[in-house]
Amino acid sequence: MKLKRNLTPLAVLAGIFLFVFMAARGMEPKDLLITTLRGFSVGSVTFLVAAGFSLIFGLLDVLNLAQGTLYMIGAYVGWTVYVRPDTFVDIMPMILFLMAGFALRFLWDALSDRLNWSPKTTKIVGWLLVIVAIALGLFIVPRYPIAGWELDNYAQSPISYSFMVEQGTRLPAIHLGFEEIPAPVAVIGLLLISSLLSFGLALIRKKANQQHELSLKKWWTFIVLMVLGLFFLLFNTILTNILFSMSSNWLFLIAVIMAVLSGLGLGALMETTLIQPLYSRPIYQLMLTLGMSTIGVQLVRAIWGMPEFVLSKPALFRGTGGACPATNLADLIEYNCTTVMVLGGRVRVYDEIFLPIVGIIVLVVVWVLLKKSRIGMIIRAGVQDSSMVEMLGINVRRVFTLVFALGAGLAALGGVLAAPSNGLSTGMGEKLLLNALIALAVGGLTSYPGAALGSLLVGLIQQFMIKYGQIGIPIPFTDTLFKPSPAIVPASTMLLMVIVLLILPHGLLGKQE
Amino acid sequence: MNLTSDPGLDTILELKKVHSYIGQYHILQDVDFVVPRGSITTLLGRNGAGKTTTLKSILNNATVREGKILFNGKEIQGLPPYEIAQMGIGFVPEHRAIFRALTVEENLRIAERKKGDLEKKRDLIFELFPDLKRFLHLRGTELSGGQQQMLAIARAMVPDNELMLIDEPSEGLAPVVIEQLIEVIAELSKTSTVILVEQNFLVASKLARYFVIIEEGKSVDYGMMADLEQDKEKIHRYLGAA
Repeated sequence: MKLKRNLTPLAVLAGIFLFVFMAARGMEPKDLLITTLRGFSVGSVTFLVAAGFSLIFGLLDVLNLAQGTLYMIGAYVGWTVYVRPDTFVDIMPMILFLMAGFALRFLWDALSDRLNWSPKTTKIVGWLLVIVAIALGLFIVPRYPIAGWELDNYAQSPISYSFMVEQGTRLPAIHLGFEEIPAPVAVIGLLLISSLLSFGLALIRKKANQQHELSLKKWWTFIVLMVLGLFFLLFNTILTNILFSMSSNWLFLIAVIMAVLSGLGLGALMETTLIQPLYSRPIYQLMLTLGMSTIGVQLVRAIWGMPEFVLSKPALFRGTGGACPATNLADLIEYNCTTVMVLGGRVRVYDEIFLPIVGIIVLVVVWVLLKKSRIGMIIRAGVQDSSMVEMLGINVRRVFTLVFALGAGLAALGGVLAAPSNGLSTGMGEKLLLNALIALAVGGLTSYPGAALGSLLVGLIQQFMIKYGQIGIPIPFTDTLFKPSPAIVPASTMLLMVIVLLILPHGLLGKQE
Repeated sequence: MNLTSDPGLDTILELKKVHSYIGQYHILQDVDFVVPRGSITTLLGRNGAGKTTTLKSILNNATVREGKILFNGKEIQGLPPYEIAQMGIGFVPEHRAIFRALTVEENLRIAERKKGDLEKKRDLIFELFPDLKRFLHLRGTELSGGQQQMLAIARAMVPDNELMLIDEPSEGLAPVVIEQLIEVIAELSKTSTVILVEQNFLVASKLARYFVIIEEGKSVDYGMMADLEQDKEKIHRYLGAA
């Protein structure tokens, strides 16, 4: 019984691999190796987006179509930290102070419980506060000093900044002071904006009969955020200078961490403010995430500009001198080569070795988290029946937020890691979202290992198709060569999805409900 | 009718004129009763009368729009379900709601409210449910219906709960298993107060000391189980059969 159920997916998998390797007969070993590694590379980036997608869908039943945009935002945030650390240090206090206001949400919730206004007044006052907060934001945020770039000025555009970093030169850091508004006004203003906003939202969302506990523990988040914000504000110059003198490896690490944090933060913000009120309305939720993804793309265009630009690899993967391309491990470690020679072919270390390794590490870490930790246990139980989990005394809403944030964070990690090999463009998210969706459909929508398998298959098929475009597929039992045109590459993954779904409607590892 | 309790009685839970909704449906339309501490109170009534909704309202799983629910004298209506549960209320739902993806041990462990809850109760739980000890590493779904019911009760016993809400425990179980179940619930009621929803009048009458009858979303009668058992006419009127 169990075997029979597992046999069909296995047969389909075997069929796919047989097809690929039949076609690969004419390939040289080095091409086969490199193409496979590239497949793994694309697969692991796809997996980072797809894994988040599948976690969010499994527990929350939300198809987060903004996942591709979060991937893109991860890349752009990483770029900013890596290429313009001065901008990063300038912007941090602003974000932290805004977050601090939102961290007081428990206070506003409790306050809104204690107000005995009529439901209509409550709603009107709530919306008024939101409008006031936005107006205040429009006044303060543009006057807050942030060293940035002029999109119209070529010498200051993201392209020229990346070019300079690529050349090993960097414009000196720009240190701006508070001129248009005094610093205390800015700080208090930012706190006021987010406080008014979250109080307004608390009023809008107020339900009859609700009660919120006031507990002192919740102050800690606020205090920590304030201290961090003040730290970035007061030590701005020192921090900027430290970041500018750092080696590119450490800076890249910081960029990756900040990208993931931005993904986590955006995910948490999206879930708590926009997704939560719509849990009983899945269609609206879908429209909302679709809208968010478009808004995100336009925001990125407005901030960073339209043209494509690059994020250069850190020094660890950029060496070309000495014994590069390396033929053995010792040379690779000594000269930090960009490429290594394997079977007579050049393998790019960052793209084709480092990225798959990260993909596997994330796969294992999330797997262990799901299987061994208490949070993982709650997630697995919540996928089935979240209201029962809550009635056991578990704050399942918080777990929802956490999972949404985790999924968004994984997508952002994918974005920042893919940036050095694929570059940055405002279309990068859409392309990847499509890949991730196909990977999920192939692997099974809510299955976590399915997300990994589907992503790998999508990556492999795409890369093999690209390679065949160069060398041609020997069609079995004939002498003719078929060269797929580039347009067939995306179509081939779609075809894979169609075939798999026709045979297995729930995907390779999906469960039938 | 007068549902107010004897003033000398120590009550653990009190529902005051509760109206609650599931979606837009107005299910409970004035439910009003008290639950004395340290005994079993059973909610009786026909199918669809609102017994399960009453339990869900206590945990705020059904929206309480009017009325008050007092647990140990504190108003709990409108609090998030997890906060209500953390005050010491355990829930054994209809159809058990065992987590399929979790093993038997994980199904118990997830109910811990603080680390070590399960270790403390381990001996007690395995004494009551020797079967579970043998199947600790099986998935929840690989158990029989009776074993799943025992697991659902055991899960509610893991943390220290003052009040247990048990919904239709005997549903779909074989008579032998029901006998066992009665023993378990009787044992359970020694350490915590129980509210029992039970279709099987025999099971209810063996266990419960107090009863509340719910009809069409209203609490219509309240009293000692021993008195109800004598009143065949009332049983017939409200429950259809004895």
